[in-house]
Amino acid sequence: MTNRATLRILVAALGMLCLPNAFAAPNESQDARPTAAIMLAQTCAGCHGTEGYTRGDALMPLAGLPRAQFIRAMEKFADGTRESTVMGSISRNLSAKEIELMANYFASFPENPPIAKGGKL
Amino acid sequence: MSAMNRRQFLKISSAAAAAATPLMAAKKASAAAAHVVVVGGGVGGATFAKYLRMYDPGTQVTLVQNEKDYQRRYGSSEVIVNHIADSALNISYDDLKNYYGVEFVFDTVTGIDFDKRQVRTQGGTTLNYDRVVLSPGITFDYSAVPGMTEELADTKIPHAWNAGPQLKLLRDQVNKLPIDGKVIIVPPPAPFRCPPGPYERAGLITQWMLERGDKNPSVTILDVNNNFPGDYNMVHLWNRFFGMNVPKDFTPFTQIKYTPEQLATLKTYDKPAKLQWIPGNQGGRVLKVDADTMTVEAEAGKFQADLINLIPPLKAGKIALDLGLADASGWCPVDPTTFESKMHPFVHVIGDSSLADPMPKSGYSANNQAKMVALQIKSLLAGNGVIEPIEMQNTCYVAAGPKNFSIFVTEFFREKDGKIIEGDQPPLLPFNASDEAYRLCRVYEESWIENFTHDTFYKPYWA
Ligand SMILES: Cc1cc2nc3c(=O)[nH]c(=O)nc-3n(C[C@H](O)[C@H](O)[C@H](O)COP(=O)(O)OP(=O)(O)OC[C@H]3O[C@@H](n4cnc5c(N)ncnc54)[C@H](O)[C@@H]3O)c2cc1C
Ligand code: HEC
Repeated sequence: MTNRATLRILVAALGMLCLPNAFAAPNESQDARPTAAIMLAQTCAGCHGTEGYTRGDALMPLAGLPRAQFIRAMEKFADGTRESTVMGSISRNLSAKEIELMANYFASFPENPPIAKGGKL
Repeated sequence: MSAMNRRQFLKISSAAAAAATPLMAAKKASAAAAHVVVVGGGVGGATFAKYLRMYDPGTQVTLVQNEKDYQRRYGSSEVIVNHIADSALNISYDDLKNYYGVEFVFDTVTGIDFDKRQVRTQGGTTLNYDRVVLSPGITFDYSAVPGMTEELADTKIPHAWNAGPQLKLLRDQVNKLPIDGKVIIVPPPAPFRCPPGPYERAGLITQWMLERGDKNPSVTILDVNNNFPGDYNMVHLWNRFFGMNVPKDFTPFTQIKYTPEQLATLKTYDKPAKLQWIPGNQGGRVLKVDADTMTVEAEAGKFQADLINLIPPLKAGKIALDLGLADASGWCPVDPTTFESKMHPFVHVIGDSSLADPMPKSGYSANNQAKMVALQIKSLLAGNGVIEPIEMQNTCYVAAGPKNFSIFVTEFFREKDGKIIEGDQPPLLPFNASDEAYRLCRVYEESWIENFTHDTFYKPYWA
């Protein structure tokens, strides 16, 4: 069985839902990335990729995730209404203000980055 | 900008990207540019070099690494049970060099002149620095175990705690184990690199032997420690799958105790376990090793084996010890917000070598320390002072043994009153976690390896 197939089954079994990026992220400018936001967001990159870009099927990208969707996901992980493996613990270690900082940060990146070689976001 | 729709934004940002200067083409640092030297190109050193160039492209970064053919250590036990090829651990420095513009010197650092702020290498190179960051990994204290030597580790009793040739030797030894062979694993005393690592190995080897068809494999962990991160889930699973009784007087690492109801669901066996863990308080402490008879003598008695995987006590990387950056513990004390050495200014120590308690000595910790220090050094070089507050995380995914079952340990770290403190959330899967949850962790673990390796060593996926 491929990993993707396994994952689908497992996610379904746990009743988890990965919402698609249904609407456009209102991208802020670089101001959405103050040092305090970078400090927090870079801690997630070991799993969710540098600046929130991932490869592979399992760990989902955060780059371009709309603010509201990001905040809702974190709140639901924290109160347990969205089942999780690690995110319950991680989200409960964060304040509402910190979650908002990261929501702005990740929403400021395009979901589909420019392909241009050496492009800089 | 908020009124702009996504498509417009993408158009503009692609145009901007096309015009942007790739980091690699950025002008070589001018004479006035700051210069940061990095010692060691493992997880800590590579992440630091990448992120400092990302955040502060005007600063020149030179990385001195002595292993040109570095192999990642994290996830390396998958090699010994043939889950992945040894070559899957190979790392390339091409992206750091060509995309991020990190300058490389493949050589061994032999000295630092702290007054002149100069790094010296074996090959005779001298590098001036504004700041130097060391992430030199670990050394092995063979002398602490009577009967053990470096030569034995290279030939007969590999620790395989730094990937490389010893890992291949251990893999070959596992593959040649006789049916129902005996294996002994000896973890070092805490604190050590990858705290769940030796236990993960024990589970992987047990499962490998069972899948091969062995009816009564015998894997024994002779341990000086009484617990380890993740033990709460691991002991539970080993009880269920490997016939292991819960050790007497067991108190898990997190101090979360099994409730009486939970304990009642755990089994008791009167047959020898396939995987047995003898903690320190049950006589697990090893007194000596006899390589000729392949016997390990512990407080609990003598154990003869077909394979011994003994990981000697660990200390900071040799260069850190030689330069007096470590204290009596064998690790390097640092300021928790900048990881600047408490022994010398303008010198930072990150990764396994640093004393960052309660952060575990893991790849994830090294990676997060590196990024945090990159932000701090950028700020310090610009004359802007130390950034506060700071945040870091660690997560270790650990193969539990049973096929495609993994667990995790996850912690969040902040600084308070000059100390690193850990968030108070339970860092583990709950006792009643479903089999699906363990399997899901395995899938995420594999994805983590890929994304983490990329975050540490490589350019963005989209570049
Ligand atoms: C079996 C195993 C499994 C693991 N699994 C995980 C896991 O699942 N998750 C996790 O997060 N971590 C895991 N780890 C731990 C992780 O690999 C280490 O914590 C991490 O590699 C530490 O990074 P580092 O930069 O401190 O050291 P290293 O990665 O060891 O890099 C240090 C480098 O510096 C070089 N060096 C040393 N001295 C000099 C010098 N004087 N001059 C030049 N170069 C020098 C060394 O040769 C080496 O290449 C595992 C480790 C092992 C052994
Ligand atoms: C150890 C790996 C790991 C780390 C570190 C991590 N995550 Fe996650 N993340 C996951 C996993 C796994 C999931 C799926 C839910 C689960 O099982 O916990 C997830 C899901 C998410 C989601 C939902 C995404 C979607 O598309 O619905 C968000 C948002 C998220 N993480 C944010 C974060 C933030 C913010 C951080 C850093 C503070 C972070 N994560 C750190 C592993 C991680």
